[in-house]
Amino acid sequence: MTHAESQDLLVDLAYGELDARRAAEVEEHLSGCAECRAEKAALEEARRLSAPLRELEEPPAGFDERILQAARAEAHHQHDGNVGQVIEVTGNVRPLGLEAARIDAHGPVKARASERKRPRWMVRAALGGSVAAAAALALVVSTTLDARRPAQTQVRNEDYRIRVKPAAPEAVDSALRDAEARREVDGAGAKEQPAAVPPPAVPAPVAQKKKLELLPQRTTAEKLPAKGERERADKNDGALDAVAGEAPAPSAAPRSNVVAVGKGLSGGMAAASGKERTAPAQAQEEQAVAARQSAAAPAAQALSAPAAAPPAALAESREMKAAAATPPKAAGIEASAQQARHAANYVLAASLYRSAAGARQEEGDAAAAAWNLAHAVECLAAAGRFDEARQVREELTRLHPSETTAIAAARRAMREVEPPDPAPADKQK
Amino acid sequence: MPQEPTDEELLAAYQQGDPGAFETLLRRHRAPLFTFLVRMLGDRTKAEDLAQETFLRIVKGAQAWERRARFQTWLFTIARNLCVDQSRRDRFRRAESLDAQGPEGDPPMAESVPGREIDPGRGAESARLRPLLQKALLELPAEQREVFVLREQAGVPFREIAELTGVNENTVKSRMRYALLGLRKALAAAGISEELAADEPETDARLGRA
Repeated sequence: MTHAESQDLLVDLAYGELDARRAAEVEEHLSGCAECRAEKAALEEARRLSAPLRELEEPPAGFDERILQAARAEAHHQHDGNVGQVIEVTGNVRPLGLEAARIDAHGPVKARASERKRPRWMVRAALGGSVAAAAALALVVSTTLDARRPAQTQVRNEDYRIRVKPAAPEAVDSALRDAEARREVDGAGAKEQPAAVPPPAVPAPVAQKKKLELLPQRTTAEKLPAKGERERADKNDGALDAVAGEAPAPSAAPRSNVVAVGKGLSGGMAAASGKERTAPAQAQEEQAVAARQSAAAPAAQALSAPAAAPPAALAESREMKAAAATPPKAAGIEASAQQARHAANYVLAASLYRSAAGARQEEGDAAAAAWNLAHAVECLAAAGRFDEARQVREELTRLHPSETTAIAAARRAMREVEPPDPAPADKQK
Repeated sequence: MPQEPTDEELLAAYQQGDPGAFETLLRRHRAPLFTFLVRMLGDRTKAEDLAQETFLRIVKGAQAWERRARFQTWLFTIARNLCVDQSRRDRFRRAESLDAQGPEGDPPMAESVPGREIDPGRGAESARLRPLLQKALLELPAEQREVFVLREQAGVPFREIAELTGVNENTVKSRMRYALLGLRKALAAAGISEELAADEPETDARLGRA
């Protein structure tokens, strides 16, 4: 071994990172080289002297609390909080004059005031892939109403029942935001202040707009909805409030996101919102409700089941009658998915593709199932729903490990957003 | 005796919805991570904040984590990046503020010295030396310091430090060498050398990991 080689390896030797053969070679060189011996002695002395630094420091009491809280919330959210599966709604929120436009059970709630005479909201809610839309909306409304506590005017006998899972990432996100904020503050020289005051797990009641954004719970890390959509959501906020001010309050509506059960939301509000229902429109609605209820029932039962496909029967109102009677064939769902995709309705398309994947799976066509999942990933990525896209991709990889082309397609769809931040060791081999 | 699950197994279990697995991970890594940050920053309050933030980021990223790298590498990568951020920010603030410390100003040492009550039963000599060592450590360039702390205290092998810091392994080892020699020099300047520390009984006993 040359002197230079030996010099290079002395650090490895000091830390025991050489295999026996190399170590012996270095030792052999050392026996004849005073310079290397001196260097080795210096390194070892430095190690011995600095040993006290190796002692572990314990973080202060209470350190774990918030982290564990966030971890539990996130686990719960990931595994029980599959929003799309959890919702049951009867009744409607139409009288609030709101249109459940492009709301998806898996995504941020975006709603806007209805401008049309025709009650398109029902169609749209159905299009949203599940009744979560209406559920989420009604929930927002109910919390708003709850906050306002207006005088009860009139109650109609339409019920709605909503279940939405608790908002997990809120906890994680608020904790993270908090940590970041504290870091800012610390850096600014205010570090005398107690650092570890645990914030409330759920942020104090915020503006209802916030609720709109946070409700769906799944979206946190993610790019927020496209700008236009957010603006709409903002406008809608005003609409909600305006309407809510005149509407009767469901007395039992809890303020948490967990379960909202109310009665008679819709009655007087139809009048309050100044929207009128034409007779044909109403008929259409009722039909849709019937179809939806029957379609939603199995999903509602599978309260904590892993994310299966949302009920495909909810796809489009004109398909509903058929859908309620016999479940649509995979090919039919795929066609709808493609249609939705071409209409740039990516969220719907993704949910349809997932349904189609389930149907294909049942038919025993794994390759088609895999491709449907890949398409779902593509659509979710196109919609900016990267977390979900990742989840679907994981599902794809897990269920169809041999469908490499489909997996590759899914991966390509995510290329732009990966590695995620913080990159979980994406640099690793 | 059943074998302890690895970090990676625990994280996978957490991905499957088992919060208890995460708790085990946290208990396993909290002290090493916190110590890493204390050594890097010389400030327990900041270290605590960054350690919390690191774990929260793990929680948040857990679903996207793929079983390609060691959990520990991921953990320290996040923590290390937060440190880099932090020092960038501090440097900026120092530049802004005239009465601030110099660019390599001494962080408040008092905070980096654990109170006796936290540290019972440890050698008095060790407790006496640690502030001096910490100070000397903070005087090292940050890239040497991080290599030193990762290897010495967290026990991360050179190859992984290279991955974690994004430089090649030879650079890592060369930084390590400078760090060790630099520390030794700083300590000698402060009157600490092998003879004085020799009667420190625990020193060699604790080298077990290396």
